[in-house]
Amino acid sequence: MLDATHPNGPQTETPVSTQSKLSAKDVNVHYGDTHAIKDVNVEIDDKTVTAFIGPSGCGKSTFLRCLNRMNDTIDICRVTGLITLDGEDIYNPKVDPVQLRAKVGMVFQKPNPFPKSIFDNVAYGPRIHGMAADKAALEQIVETALKRAALWGEVKDRLHAPGTGLSGGQQQRLCIARAVATEPEVLLMDEPCSALDPIATAQVEELIDELRQNFSVVIVTHSMQQAARVSQKTAFFHLGNLVEFGETSQIFTNPHDARTESYITGRIG
Amino acid sequence: MALTRRAATNFFAGGDMSASILLLCLAALATLGFFLGRSRALAAAEGKASDLHSRPHYYGVNAALMVLLPALALLALWSVIAPLTIKAQIAQSVPQELVAEGASLDLVMTDVRNLADGLNTAVKQGVISEAKSHSLTTDTTDIRALLGGVGVALGSDVTPEVLGLAKHYRATTRASGLWKTGLVLAAGLAGLMLAYLRTTKEFRARNSVEKTVRAVLVFAAGIAILTTIGIFLALIFNTVEFFRLYNWQDYLFGTTWQPHSGGGASQPLGLVPLLWGTLYISLIALVVAVPIGLFAAIYLAEYASARVRSTVKPLLEVLAGIPSIVYGLFALLTVGPMLMSVFGNEGLGWMQGASSVMTAGLVMGIMLIPFVSSLSDDIITAVPQALRDGSLGLGATPSETIRQVVLPAALPGIVGAVILAASRAIGETMLVVFGAGAAGKLSLNPFEAMTTVTAKIVSQLTGDADFTAPEVLVAYALGTTLFVVTLCLNVLAQIIVSKYREQYT
Repeated sequence: MLDATHPNGPQTETPVSTQSKLSAKDVNVHYGDTHAIKDVNVEIDDKTVTAFIGPSGCGKSTFLRCLNRMNDTIDICRVTGLITLDGEDIYNPKVDPVQLRAKVGMVFQKPNPFPKSIFDNVAYGPRIHGMAADKAALEQIVETALKRAALWGEVKDRLHAPGTGLSGGQQQRLCIARAVATEPEVLLMDEPCSALDPIATAQVEELIDELRQNFSVVIVTHSMQQAARVSQKTAFFHLGNLVEFGETSQIFTNPHDARTESYITGRIG
Repeated sequence: MALTRRAATNFFAGGDMSASILLLCLAALATLGFFLGRSRALAAAEGKASDLHSRPHYYGVNAALMVLLPALALLALWSVIAPLTIKAQIAQSVPQELVAEGASLDLVMTDVRNLADGLNTAVKQGVISEAKSHSLTTDTTDIRALLGGVGVALGSDVTPEVLGLAKHYRATTRASGLWKTGLVLAAGLAGLMLAYLRTTKEFRARNSVEKTVRAVLVFAAGIAILTTIGIFLALIFNTVEFFRLYNWQDYLFGTTWQPHSGGGASQPLGLVPLLWGTLYISLIALVVAVPIGLFAAIYLAEYASARVRSTVKPLLEVLAGIPSIVYGLFALLTVGPMLMSVFGNEGLGWMQGASSVMTAGLVMGIMLIPFVSSLSDDIITAVPQALRDGSLGLGATPSETIRQVVLPAALPGIVGAVILAASRAIGETMLVVFGAGAAGKLSLNPFEAMTTVTAKIVSQLTGDADFTAPEVLVAYALGTTLFVVTLCLNVLAQIIVSKYREQYT
């Protein structure tokens, strides 16, 4: 299944599903003098949806941005500890953050389509990575990505209209299509539904469930219902600490830590 | 024009001794109005401010504005119109023979005014008494010597007629000043009364003040627009005058520029060589300034650390503050000779003198670099970070992100900045006067001296200018041409910018 969706070139051997895709060991993050993430250890499995929950400012978005080195763009941010993708240290000086981000894609909180046409938005990644041999192949990639993002039916007649002209929910699905089109191995989503209405949210959640067939998905969310609906694993962050990490069903029905219980029952947060 | 300026100086320097006192009186009245208005409002509400429609101080401000605005408007109008009326009135009573023997009415009027002003000065300095200044006659006093003693130099001996007129002038001006003071104070008092009477519990003082504030702002905006129209009209009138003397086709399409004094309508005053020089120099300037400025802006906005940025940006802006005449010196004394040593007779032999299109263009380009980079930097920084994150998150490199996402999003703004730079280049004067040369020439060789529209406006208007000759009036036609060209460029920039503005909001 995975090989069929990787049309260009040999990819790394699909790891056995028992081994974790992404793993973080003793990760600490400092913003200037602020200690934002404290000794976090997480194992993220392949073809699984992992949800990060926790109150605002608990560091879950910061941690997410460590996983594809997006924090590199912030001058005052320091990351220590070990984060590995398929067993390889992603902060190793030999690793090119640009190639890493092609493998670990990201969808942001606010839809951020480029001021280009819908087609060019989706074709952006495939073009810079040289994924399509010719125009027909590129069109095929764009169509596949839009179909996966459940947007194809709505935009197929206006692929050359500006992406910024779509509604909020459509824009977010366009951004997901854009991320999916580069065939990442892991997809990071930072509160992808916070700017969307319930109907668009439902569409995106359905989409996340489908993406699980091919990718490992990590989603940051404020909505505990959403975490319960879409994820198999859940991590609860509080004040920069990873308080509890486990099966979603266990976290929501039988939390081991008192803080987790307080949060999911609405007493803190 | 001269008269109104004079009135303005009198007004502000306290030439009418009452002007500053008058303003003080108005300020006092306004303050009084403020307190009266507020206390009456409070009294009407029996001390309960919450019963009033507006907060108490609004009633005060309303009263103060009612005092100030009509009185100040009247004062301004009177100060502008009265001197004009007085002058017209005196001019009518100038006897015919006085004009016939001298030159023009204007000259006589200047004498009258100088004499009147001189007498004012003499009285103020205490050389003669006020009463004596009214009874002076030319037979008994050497007025020229008297006024020379207080530092006022008169052009000629004073004739009895001129002295009579000057006395008349002084008397009228004085009366006008008294009327002005009285009427302005009356207007202020009337405003105060009206505001006081209108102050009741229900009176909507807040809305009234809001309306007044709005009116004052509209007035300020109106002045800015009217001034522009005024400048344009001044240009147009003289341009029309020029085209009455000179064939417009010869001006617009003429390919030689050789004005000479007294040449009349037959001298070649062709626009083409000047416009060519202007555009050629501007083109070279933009070729230098746009890439360097833009790349500098991209570095500053996208790559530089916060520390580098906070040092380099102010430095660049200092560069933008250097007066263009300093750049002119740089062109004349440094860049010109440097180019000469390479392209001059000792080198390649393409260049005859230090002044050339290349000299002026290069230095103008250097001058425009901070302009382009500062504007572009602001525009690039305004592109939302979310777009950069989106692109980087897809595995694009920083330079791919800039080329494919940031620059396209910033492009309309950058085009606008480039067009603004172009219109600055076209309007630049001092630098080209120094760096480009003085001869209007049509040539493709950038190492030849050429001249520009602005440089020729300067040279046609300096020296002894006879404002009825086409070789002088042509300056206005050149000015209008520049105005139209830069206006078109600015409109174009506006259209481009507004067409694409909404793309990333």
